[in-house]
Amino acid sequence: MAGSALRRLMAEYKQLTLDPPEGIVAGPISEDNFFEWEALIAGPEGTCFEGGVFPARLVFPTDYPLSPPKMKFTCDMFHPNIFADGRVCISILHAPGDDPMGYELSAERWSPVQSVEKILLSVVSMLAEPNDESGANVDAAIMWREQRDEFNAIARRLVRKTLGLPP
Amino acid sequence: MQLLLSSVCMALTSAVIGFAYYQKQQFYPAVVYITKSNASMGVIYIQFFVIVFMFGKLISKIFLGTLRAAEFEHLLERFWYALTETCLAFTVFRDDFNPRFVALFTVLLFLKSFHWLAEERVDFMERSPVLGWFFHIRVGSLLTVLGVLDYVLLIHAYNSTLVRGPTVQMVFGFEYAILLTVIASTAIKYVLHAAEMRTDTPWENKAVFLLYTELVIGFIKVVLYLLFVVIMAKIYALPMFVFRPMFFTLRNFRKALNDVIMSRRAIRNMNTLYPDATPEELRQSDNICIICREDMVNHSKKLPCGHIFHTTCLRSWFQRQQTCPTCRLNILRTPTVNSTAMPRQADEAAAAAAGNPIPAAAGAQPAGGVPPPAPVAVDGNQARANGNLAGGLPPNFADLFGDATGLPNGLPNLAGLQIPPPPVMPMLSPFMMPPHFGYLTPLPPPPMPQDLTNFTDEELRAMEGHQRDHIVQRLKLLQNINLMLDSAGIMMSQYQSLAARLQLTAATPASAANGSAGSSVYDMPSTSATAMAQMEAHQVTPTAATSAPSPTMPIEKVTIEDLGADADEDDIPSTATEAVSIPNSDADFEENSSELGELRKRRLKFLEERNKPVAANERTTAE
Repeated sequence: MAGSALRRLMAEYKQLTLDPPEGIVAGPISEDNFFEWEALIAGPEGTCFEGGVFPARLVFPTDYPLSPPKMKFTCDMFHPNIFADGRVCISILHAPGDDPMGYELSAERWSPVQSVEKILLSVVSMLAEPNDESGANVDAAIMWREQRDEFNAIARRLVRKTLGLPP
Repeated sequence: MQLLLSSVCMALTSAVIGFAYYQKQQFYPAVVYITKSNASMGVIYIQFFVIVFMFGKLISKIFLGTLRAAEFEHLLERFWYALTETCLAFTVFRDDFNPRFVALFTVLLFLKSFHWLAEERVDFMERSPVLGWFFHIRVGSLLTVLGVLDYVLLIHAYNSTLVRGPTVQMVFGFEYAILLTVIASTAIKYVLHAAEMRTDTPWENKAVFLLYTELVIGFIKVVLYLLFVVIMAKIYALPMFVFRPMFFTLRNFRKALNDVIMSRRAIRNMNTLYPDATPEELRQSDNICIICREDMVNHSKKLPCGHIFHTTCLRSWFQRQQTCPTCRLNILRTPTVNSTAMPRQADEAAAAAAGNPIPAAAGAQPAGGVPPPAPVAVDGNQARANGNLAGGLPPNFADLFGDATGLPNGLPNLAGLQIPPPPVMPMLSPFMMPPHFGYLTPLPPPPMPQDLTNFTDEELRAMEGHQRDHIVQRLKLLQNINLMLDSAGIMMSQYQSLAARLQLTAATPASAANGSAGSSVYDMPSTSATAMAQMEAHQVTPTAATSAPSPTMPIEKVTIEDLGADADEDDIPSTATEAVSIPNSDADFEENSSELGELRKRRLKFLEERNKPVAANERTTAE
């Protein structure tokens, strides 16, 4: 019998494979390491990210699900809540103790009840509705707030890029 | 790349040796030539490191197979730190700097790298779904070899220090001692992981064993580092090169200590505060522990909020956070709410136990058996629920009034309203009114939370446990709290409407303050008069009576003195009649709640009856 973190990850993988939520594919990169996952997230319809398929990598700690995983987009992203290096900044991924941005309610933070599926769904809704108060990418936040057309244009360019189309 | 580098190195070395031999033609002079020339020595050193590197590759191929990317990354990172620290160590021992010394440090670094790799491998066991016997042989032999090497080198360093006094060997002895502790903790972890893999069920106590291992090893390491720093500082100089690892060791030790404390607290809380989930509760829920996503068959706990989890899952979560994982209820705060009225509850139960066959503390009542009679039922003819409430409450509230007299009033303007005397109304309540109104009559200020440090073991025991008795006790307590909250709520609404009225009356404070100018008071439908009426019900003193119409206490006092005793006597009937008119004139007050209206009517009736003789008296005195 393996460790509890591994068993839970296997259970989640099974669940995600049997009943995948719309627009999300996720699973371990290799079957002999369940602690690194790759996820593909489809840009939500009706937003500037529509049509894109964004790859991301999830790294789980050994004490998962007590601690949250880390999530990082492996493609170029331009979004108020995604750092320039691809790291995702949403409250569900933050352990209740630390508050890097100083505004999150502890009720929105990580708890063992959360899961990969919930994280990815939150990311999809984050793509649809950026939170411009979190300053993961300040440039993107300002542009999203003040020059929405330009922001949308950049997003559409990124979408084409992830699909391998010429910009 | 590596191949190219090593072949270039090989070529250089052969060139240097070949050149020396070509020049000197003989072995001995050639060796002397090479050692005398710095450039040749440099080449020989580099060749030496390349050989060590290749040897390391070979060993890791044998014991570890292919390194995973993460392992390699961590190895590189730690290696650079170790290298800089070694260079720092060189500065302390610059006097004994010689090839032998460099060789010894190389061996140390070499062994250290394998210790790290072994650690990583054992940590990886937790993540890997399948591990063959080959893995176990490799890790087992690696750990054995490293342990033996550490031990031999430690003994060697110890002996040479004994023979030659403190030299650089002391550093090595210390380093190998640290490495031995690393090997020990790695081996223990390996055994624990391996043991867990062999069983089919999750091994619940593994986390605890790991915690204590961390703690003990951390402690040994801290002691070793401290000793080393002290000794080194005495003999040589402050060993800068151990500060970084020492800092990390101290930090880890502190974390381990904290973890152990938190874990113990979590275990204690779970054992004492939360009941085990019963099979029925498990059947009612979906029977899956949301933390590990596995079925709950045994060892599950139910939190005060009703959520059920595995005991072990909860314990490891409580180590980090004292909240319910599902609803984030603070579990450390909740039980204190339960126990707020605990001493009273227990007192009550003890008081009632005299007439009751089953003492409240009797834990032997089998669950699911015949429901025991409520231990506080004073009136046997009342329905049981009422018995719980009405029978249980009067002593409780009498106590609370006692407390309340000591409380500072939150609304000083309404000071006259405060503290009805306990014996008058509460005794009436269960008999005169529907039981749930009973406690409303005296309108006590909301009780303050009790001091929680004062219960006796017996009182606590009455509340703990999973027997029916205990649950009944808890439920009763909650009902009491509920009642208190209701009364506080009604009081608040009264206060609110009073405050609204007071603002109106405050516009004409002069007339209100003047007790003899009775006419103005008569005409004004003021709620201060109601306040007075309430107070009248309990306090017959003339002082309080005059005080009611005026919004603030100080003014009242002045008026009392000014008016003298006879003015007070005049006032009493006037305010009483005023109060009688209130239910009619105050439409919105009555809207507030029908219960209040009911109460007021009763009170007014009471007042009227009592005022008749007073008025008669007055008439006689006036005549």
